[in-house]
Amino acid sequence: MPSSDAQLIQRVRADESGEAMRALYRAYSGELYGFTLNALGDRGIAEEVVQEVFTRAWRHAGTYDPGRGSVRTWLYQIARHAIIDARRRASVRPSLARHEPDEVDATAGPTIEQAMLGWQVASALERLSPEHRQVIRLAHFQGLSMREIAEHCGLPVGTVKSRTWYALRSLRLVLEEMGIR
Amino acid sequence: MTGGDHVRAELGAYVLGALDPAEADAVREHLARCSACAREHASIAQLPELLSLAEPFESAPPLTPALEERVLDAVALERARGEPRRVRRLFRPRIAIPVAALAAVVAVALVVALGAGNSGRHYQVAFRPVAGSTAGGGAQLKSTADGTQLRLWAKGLPHDTNAVYEVLCEARGWTASAGTFRPDAQGRAVVVLTTAARRGEYDSIRVVRRTRASSQDVMTASLN
Repeated sequence: MPSSDAQLIQRVRADESGEAMRALYRAYSGELYGFTLNALGDRGIAEEVVQEVFTRAWRHAGTYDPGRGSVRTWLYQIARHAIIDARRRASVRPSLARHEPDEVDATAGPTIEQAMLGWQVASALERLSPEHRQVIRLAHFQGLSMREIAEHCGLPVGTVKSRTWYALRSLRLVLEEMGIR
Repeated sequence: MTGGDHVRAELGAYVLGALDPAEADAVREHLARCSACAREHASIAQLPELLSLAEPFESAPPLTPALEERVLDAVALERARGEPRRVRRLFRPRIAIPVAALAAVVAVALVVALGAGNSGRHYQVAFRPVAGSTAGGGAQLKSTADGTQLRLWAKGLPHDTNAVYEVLCEARGWTASAGTFRPDAQGRAVVVLTTAARRGEYDSIRVVRRTRASSQDVMTASLN
């Protein structure tokens, strides 16, 4: 998909119908929102930043160079700058200032590479069966024990354990297919 | 816990830290002396770290559906204000009509085109989310001999394999179902449904999320 994404960026500027921009937004807005929300902790401000990212992407589409990185990397870099700007503005916005009291620099939070990897792992989870996804979510993200999951799902503990094993094996295979080892 | 197969079934729970302490100790001891199980363990041992990177995306609520249009509006506005191409300048006075005014013209045109009395075969509605919901969407409706065909699109629907969404055409004290659908993993759906309800027999459309345990309105549209 990378080359078609690069073509999309070329079209974004010329396409007056807005469809290229809409396609770009639909492909990347979810993950950029996850990234900015994680960095800023405020839904409303994270949405403002996402809007700013796509506006800047439109404005600077002519400067995108596929030789220097993927569209995804480029958008995350724009987002990183927009997040830093939002944090600077946050010095007069108490809710954000509370969330990140001392940080205004780019070193806070996960790196762009870590964030992009995180999104790919989240996408890999979406490709698992609902049963496999559920058991991973309950155990890892909600911190439930096997017994608690068994109770929650109305299943024998042994079934939940074996399902967890197969779920992680499936996740590993999907990640390998995506080139993540 | 002597066989490799036995501990293998526990490895998933082990790496996710979801075993009881005594069970985890037993697995740890087994791994120290069983190379086959140790290899299996190594193949999934790094997954919790990767999963932790995914957490911000897993826990993020869905984006407000309206943001997509806000982004497109912002870009259209900026394009109208200052597209630095020569050909654009020729048209700037016309393009620079305020977006709100343009939207009003489009809205009037739509009303004229779609709302031409009850005799029009095609009409469309926009859904608004019910309090607490993030759903949004719209529907194009076409009158047929036997009722109405709905081409419905939606986004921001909480995805859950146990839930179905039902579309109801309603008037006061009267309801006709247009059927059920499931959204994709991103909470989006584009479906074509039919109902026996005819135009004029209903004045609103409601989308309800149903599970075995609950039923909850997610968005509604008014035909008026």
